[in-house]
Amino acid sequence: MPLIALDNVTKIYPLGHQQVTAVDRLTLAIDAGEFSVLAGPSGSGKTTILNLVGGLDRPSRGSVVIDGRDVGEGSARALADFRLRRVGFIFQSYNLIPVLNAAENAEFTLMLQGVPRTVRRERIEELFSDLGISGLENRKPGDLSGGQQQRVAIARAMAAEPTVILADEPTANLDTQTSEELLQLMRRLNREQKTTFVFSSHDPMVIAYARRVIRLRDGRLESDSRQDLQPAGEAP
Amino acid sequence: MEFLHLAWKNLWRNRRRTLITLAAISLSVMLTQASHNLSFGVYAQMIDSGVRAGSGHLTVYRGDYARSRKEELSFDPGTLVEAIAAIDGVARVLPRVYLPALAQSSRESRGVLVTGVDPQAEAGINPFLKKIIAGEMIGSSDGRDALLGSRLLKELKISIGSKFVVTLQGPEGDLLSELLRVRGAVETGIKDLDGSLVMIGRQRAAAMAGIPGRVHELAVILQGRAEEERVRPLLDALLPPGGEVRVLSWEEAMPNLANAIKLDYASQRVIFIIIMLIVTIGVVNTLLMSVMERIREFGVILALGATPGRLRRMVLAEALVLGLVAMTLGTILGAALTWYLVEHGIDLRSLISESLEFGGVVFDPVMRAAWDLGYMLRIALYVLALSLLASLYPARKAARIAPAEAMRHV
Repeated sequence: MPLIALDNVTKIYPLGHQQVTAVDRLTLAIDAGEFSVLAGPSGSGKTTILNLVGGLDRPSRGSVVIDGRDVGEGSARALADFRLRRVGFIFQSYNLIPVLNAAENAEFTLMLQGVPRTVRRERIEELFSDLGISGLENRKPGDLSGGQQQRVAIARAMAAEPTVILADEPTANLDTQTSEELLQLMRRLNREQKTTFVFSSHDPMVIAYARRVIRLRDGRLESDSRQDLQPAGEAP
Repeated sequence: MEFLHLAWKNLWRNRRRTLITLAAISLSVMLTQASHNLSFGVYAQMIDSGVRAGSGHLTVYRGDYARSRKEELSFDPGTLVEAIAAIDGVARVLPRVYLPALAQSSRESRGVLVTGVDPQAEAGINPFLKKIIAGEMIGSSDGRDALLGSRLLKELKISIGSKFVVTLQGPEGDLLSELLRVRGAVETGIKDLDGSLVMIGRQRAAAMAGIPGRVHELAVILQGRAEEERVRPLLDALLPPGGEVRVLSWEEAMPNLANAIKLDYASQRVIFIIIMLIVTIGVVNTLLMSVMERIREFGVILALGATPGRLRRMVLAEALVLGLVAMTLGTILGAALTWYLVEHGIDLRSLISESLEFGGVVFDPVMRAAWDLGYMLRIALYVLALSLLASLYPARKAARIAPAEAMRHV
């Protein structure tokens, strides 16, 4: 049974007096531990699919099942709990909370879960060390570079040990070198911790890092292929 | 606790806006508390002055004397004065006789109110006796000496030591006259009183009116206003059954003063409501702006797994922190201003040349505040409650954000 199963999913958004079909009868299955990319041009439905998989939105038709749970059903509260415990998000523009420092940002989901402060701090220290941002715990997001902010965002997504991490164009705002470093890092986490990654991108360099490339066009599946990982540049 | 910490941080995102809101709320609290304390102090002084010079905290009258002022409504106090004085909490009992009369000097005549008092009992209690501007207080209860209002003295064109005649109607309707001598003059500041007061010994007054040993009023001065509730039933129990002689509170005996104070407090309440409305608008504005600026961030927080209820509580926590800081700061400022007004007061003497009356009592031109801690606490709690109330709409708005839509928000 796949970890993520989209069955004949359609998502329609109202846009003024018109309706826009962002995802059109999409059927897709992603297994646990995969490192997949949703590739396609702008407007192809990448972000909509990530939102549906992450329980941020509900499908207009069809079903989205994650780890045996239909995210289209259940109350807003139940969906929030699902996101809190099963999903980690990484956003294109990092979306760290500006008034919190790096450590507080990273432990935010643990705080929402009610994990005691000392336990949280231990986990964050470990993650920061793993992500190469030790020593930046007390810095505010505004005092961090884009790459550092995205590493904090990865730490936040990883902190609660979710079933799947969804990353929406995670390197779009970063330079090539930082992007490569982060991709290597995510791939290492995928390999070592068996965390499932699904990210969206239209950048060929990013796509080249994925094991599975799911190409979308106009909300429909264009192609679904597996590729060998680039041997070079693996994270240390 | 962590949410309060986060709320504190969020509150200072826009430092200037928060400071302006805090300043507006704190100053409102300060002004409301201090202005109330000033009124509280001034009224306390006026009530004190009113009850001492007038009818006491509690008064014993016969029938409806308080309203009708009919001379025939006198009564024999018997041993009441001693019995009332023995009640714990009673500072003094002042028996008084009031007689409308005509005062005549060799050159003028005026309508007056002869007030018969026990000079020893009144000493140290009656504030008018501190305002003797010429001569001295009468010495005995049965002498012919009189203390006159300063204006009356001038209008009768007499001076200290002069003799004058007082004529009044006896119980049978016959005219009775008495020759009196001016012992002193008093300037109470109350125009009507200064033009009509003739204070003589009570026994002399009762004798000349043909009602020896009887009084019109027993003014009961308590050790404090707080004693009123406790003492009143004890005093009631001492009165003869039948209810002809009865006890009135100062509010009932001096309705002019009580109503004037009530009216002023009512107008203060209107101002208070306006101030609180401004506070509410300030809080709503600050929190709503803060919510609208953070739509995208709220979307992220929801995406991370916060429930809408949690988001609502986050906004409420910000209002709670804002309210707590404002009420604390406002109360500190209110206490500081009250302290100044208690210690130094506001001296109106340079602004007001004549003394002012309020509800039939002289208004002290140096207005001093008094502490009303219960009121200060109430205002502080109102502000806190109002801050929370004002945050309900912004909190509701935050809780209704759809996460996917919010994250597209720029």
